[in-house]
Amino acid sequence: MSFLTSISNWLDSIPVIHQFASPKILASVFPFLLEGAKLTILFAVLGELFGIPLGLLAAVFKLSKLKVLRALSTIYVDFFRGTPLLVQLYIGLFALPIAFPVIQKVPDFTFYGGVAVLAVNSGAYVAEIFRAGIESIHKGQMEAARSLGFSYLKAMWYVIIPQTFRRVLPPLTNEFIALLKDTALLSALAITELAMKARYLSSWKANVSPFMGAALIYLAMTIPLTRLVAYMEKRLAISD
Amino acid sequence: MIELVDVHKYFGHNEVLKGIDLKVKQGEVIVVIGPSGSGKSTMLRCINKLEDVTKGHIYIDGQDITDPKNDINALRQKVGMVFQSFNLFPHLTALQNVTIAPVRVQKVDRRQAEDKGRELLARVGLAGKEDFFPSKLSGGQQQRVAIARALAMEPEVMLFDEVTSALDPELVKEVLDVMKNLALGGMTMVCVTHEMGFGREVGTRAIFMDEGVIMEENIPSELFAHPRNKRTQAFLGKVLAQ
Repeated sequence: MSFLTSISNWLDSIPVIHQFASPKILASVFPFLLEGAKLTILFAVLGELFGIPLGLLAAVFKLSKLKVLRALSTIYVDFFRGTPLLVQLYIGLFALPIAFPVIQKVPDFTFYGGVAVLAVNSGAYVAEIFRAGIESIHKGQMEAARSLGFSYLKAMWYVIIPQTFRRVLPPLTNEFIALLKDTALLSALAITELAMKARYLSSWKANVSPFMGAALIYLAMTIPLTRLVAYMEKRLAISD
Repeated sequence: MIELVDVHKYFGHNEVLKGIDLKVKQGEVIVVIGPSGSGKSTMLRCINKLEDVTKGHIYIDGQDITDPKNDINALRQKVGMVFQSFNLFPHLTALQNVTIAPVRVQKVDRRQAEDKGRELLARVGLAGKEDFFPSKLSGGQQQRVAIARALAMEPEVMLFDEVTSALDPELVKEVLDVMKNLALGGMTMVCVTHEMGFGREVGTRAIFMDEGVIMEENIPSELFAHPRNKRTQAFLGKVLAQ
């Protein structure tokens, strides 16, 4: 005991530290914060998981010869990149269920609605990432595939898109990091992800240390990912 | 087998092909020469619709590829194309480059496609390189993989668009040798090339193009040795002086 405990006690005796980052309180709320972090990760992973195919589809639409598809994609991307995620969450989880009450009958509709809004939001950003990725592939690749008899879509699927994955992995990871942090907005809908958990715990303990705890947990998730992006970009720079 | 009838092609206001008429019969090896910007490559690219013709018709086995009702993907399978810049798929190995189209487009059984792919790679002198990625192959090797890739679709005619122009001089011969064997095997070929020696040796007909028209055509030895057209003479004079 002893040494660590006495340091912890000493720190807690300093008022500012006690209020802001009390070791004792942090230790006691940490398991609860981790519960919230699980939900945060679940939302981010599911959002990205559905956002990627959605974004890929929007990117292919954007590059299509058909004007209708291009227009659809533009409207989608402009709307979700041009409005705050918080407003999108309000629309998805407050406005739509009022307009269409049947939505409220879906069990856990706050959860699924949250995932859906995150997915369509991240899909809009992913679309731009894939569009840039696809456009960066030399046009000779499409020509070679077409000359072999591939249809446009098959050429996209078997030849072009597989080549974009290596190039889009760093920006996609960045997008995931952004989404992970953005899940904190779900607290506005009383979803008990990490940020909301910290708010509850802080009023329960009458102490703001849980917010510091939440920040530390966010950092523990994002810093390895940003390092990973840096590493991938370096490798990509070498191989190109 | 291939017939071009009064083919015109505009890029914007710029008329690149000004009425091309050409018939390619089975087994012919046509050598197309001409200065850069003469429309040779554009003509070749029109034959498998990588470029849309502005006016005129192109028939492959009697089917008009300029008619939107005809299935261009099916017609393209009859026409193999090899590019100046190889355009191998960099994420696939040599063997996968050769098998992807038969497997994905023609729905050939993968095993069968791989057996044939190995055979084709051996035929272009690349046995043992099956699992190499393009980045690990020399330019000449890459171009030979590209030829094998086109052959895998069992085309009736092969188009070669300056396929040795991007190669280091010492790698040109290995690619030309593959093309020579192909010609000797009876493949119908249209080759845009600057390799006069190759043209004289394997070509059954040579065409000189300039300013979007076919200026002169003849058997290669005649066209190269006794060009009648002034422009042909000037062009050959410059090329042979190099």
